[in-house]
Amino acid sequence: MEQLLSGYVIYSLAFLLIFISLATLLHLQFSLAGIVNFGVVGFWGLGMYSFSLLLVKGKVPFVLAVILACVITGIVSWILGRIILNLDDQAVLVGTLAFATIIEYLSTSEKWLTNGVMGLGTVNFPFNFGKKSLLVYSLILLVFTVLLMLYTYKLKKSPYGRLLLSISDNEKLSQSLGKSTFRQKNIFFTFTCALIGFFGAMAAPLYSFIFPRMIGSGVTFTIWIALMLGGRKRLFGGLIGVIATIGLFDYVIETVIPIPTQYAEIVPNIKFCVYGLMLILVLMFRPFGILGDKKMEIVK
Amino acid sequence: MREKVLHLKNVVKKFGGRTVVDIKDITFGTHGIEGLIGPNGAGKTTLISLITHKIGMDQGQILYYKNNKEIDISKKRLDEIARLGLVRTNQIIQDFASLSIRESLLLSLATSKDEQLYKIFNEKKFRKAAEQEINEYLEFFHFENPDGNALSAGEKKLLDIIRCMLLKPKFLLMDEPTSGLAQDQTDRVIEMMKTKTANNEMSILIVEHDLDLIWKVSENVFFMAEGEILIQGAPDEIRKNKTVISKYMGENYAQNK
Repeated sequence: MEQLLSGYVIYSLAFLLIFISLATLLHLQFSLAGIVNFGVVGFWGLGMYSFSLLLVKGKVPFVLAVILACVITGIVSWILGRIILNLDDQAVLVGTLAFATIIEYLSTSEKWLTNGVMGLGTVNFPFNFGKKSLLVYSLILLVFTVLLMLYTYKLKKSPYGRLLLSISDNEKLSQSLGKSTFRQKNIFFTFTCALIGFFGAMAAPLYSFIFPRMIGSGVTFTIWIALMLGGRKRLFGGLIGVIATIGLFDYVIETVIPIPTQYAEIVPNIKFCVYGLMLILVLMFRPFGILGDKKMEIVK
Repeated sequence: MREKVLHLKNVVKKFGGRTVVDIKDITFGTHGIEGLIGPNGAGKTTLISLITHKIGMDQGQILYYKNNKEIDISKKRLDEIARLGLVRTNQIIQDFASLSIRESLLLSLATSKDEQLYKIFNEKKFRKAAEQEINEYLEFFHFENPDGNALSAGEKKLLDIIRCMLLKPKFLLMDEPTSGLAQDQTDRVIEMMKTKTANNEMSILIVEHDLDLIWKVSENVFFMAEGEILIQGAPDEIRKNKTVISKYMGENYAQNK
């Protein structure tokens, strides 16, 4: 039992929690505010790197480093939002994607700061309970994930949630009702990106060493696929989607199915092929994902 | 006569090389309900969009009067102008697909004070405070299922008008509010327009092709053609005016009435 709790299962669950949170935040940005963020990994990576740098190189205490990482991610996304959020969807997509690419390149090229491909570490847990450290840390992550879900649930039924929906539905009409849509979009973008940065910081101790290759655009695509698969309009869309993609492939299949070592290298590539195939099938037969579209059910 | 609410000076808008709107000097809001008529392409909808700054104008100045203060709104944004109490309803149907009828009205009632990303626990209180006002409108217009989405074009059109009314504007621009509405709903809209403008708190400028409605409700009528407001006056004067007859109504209409 002791071995199980400190081992691979808990480790996998902790990562699932991180990705579920990211997918839920993407759901907030995309389905509520209509922001097409294709640079999720950029904000995540920025949070992760700024936290780790503060902790490892700056010797800043853990909690303070997490808070500062959120603030840094927030400030950067606010500036980015000022530039791109009043452009159309395609421009926002390209803008955020470019941002994520910049972050990935900087993490490789600025060796004096990030150690480049050598990796930055060691990022330790903020406490030491021996073998139980991972379990305690995962429980903390679970609390934050649940809080985020609760917030999402409540937000969608609040005046602010309606404001965001109105902006993504018909921005001009929302403006004609006196809503300062650009400002509100930027505030929400900043807030949610800071939270993405938060989960980036929280992911760092799980990796203990962080490398530029962890923040490649594959992460963004995986989260998008998970959200589309699960149901982008639904609270649990991200959760279902992450379990059906990352949970199923990275952990269940890789653990359960014995893959000969000579084929191990191609597994990640096959995984992306299968993700793509699943996405196409879901979009063809259930355009709103596994959980579907709530509004359509009411009309029935 | 009331105090003027809007003063337009030399307002010009060109699309390509064509001058769509060219207003020399006009004041609006001196009567409770004013009508704006003119043939298609006269620039009526464009004029409304210029006033609320849904589209920007090429030159000119628009002054807005509120509480004896003169505010230059030429450079203000659409949402700022709406918050000042200058609101429009839309000719082409506009709606929020994700919001039910009730939610749409709640959106309209919510102020920036209610709309904060950390205010997620006072929804019940907010709904309770808004309930009476919203129900008044919903009952008045007999909405069948206020918790579903607006389905028909008529429902969406009414919803658009009610959203504007809930903002309690000082000046409301209505762009063909009754086109596509059933007669009983049209009558209700007219009744509401009359009660809301009875005191001095709101004035309405209505653009309509339904001329009978214009003669019935407006106290002052502007006639617009080719981007300019050519004539204004009491409905009876306008309907007999030679220019209006030749450019818009046609001899037959004038004789039959």
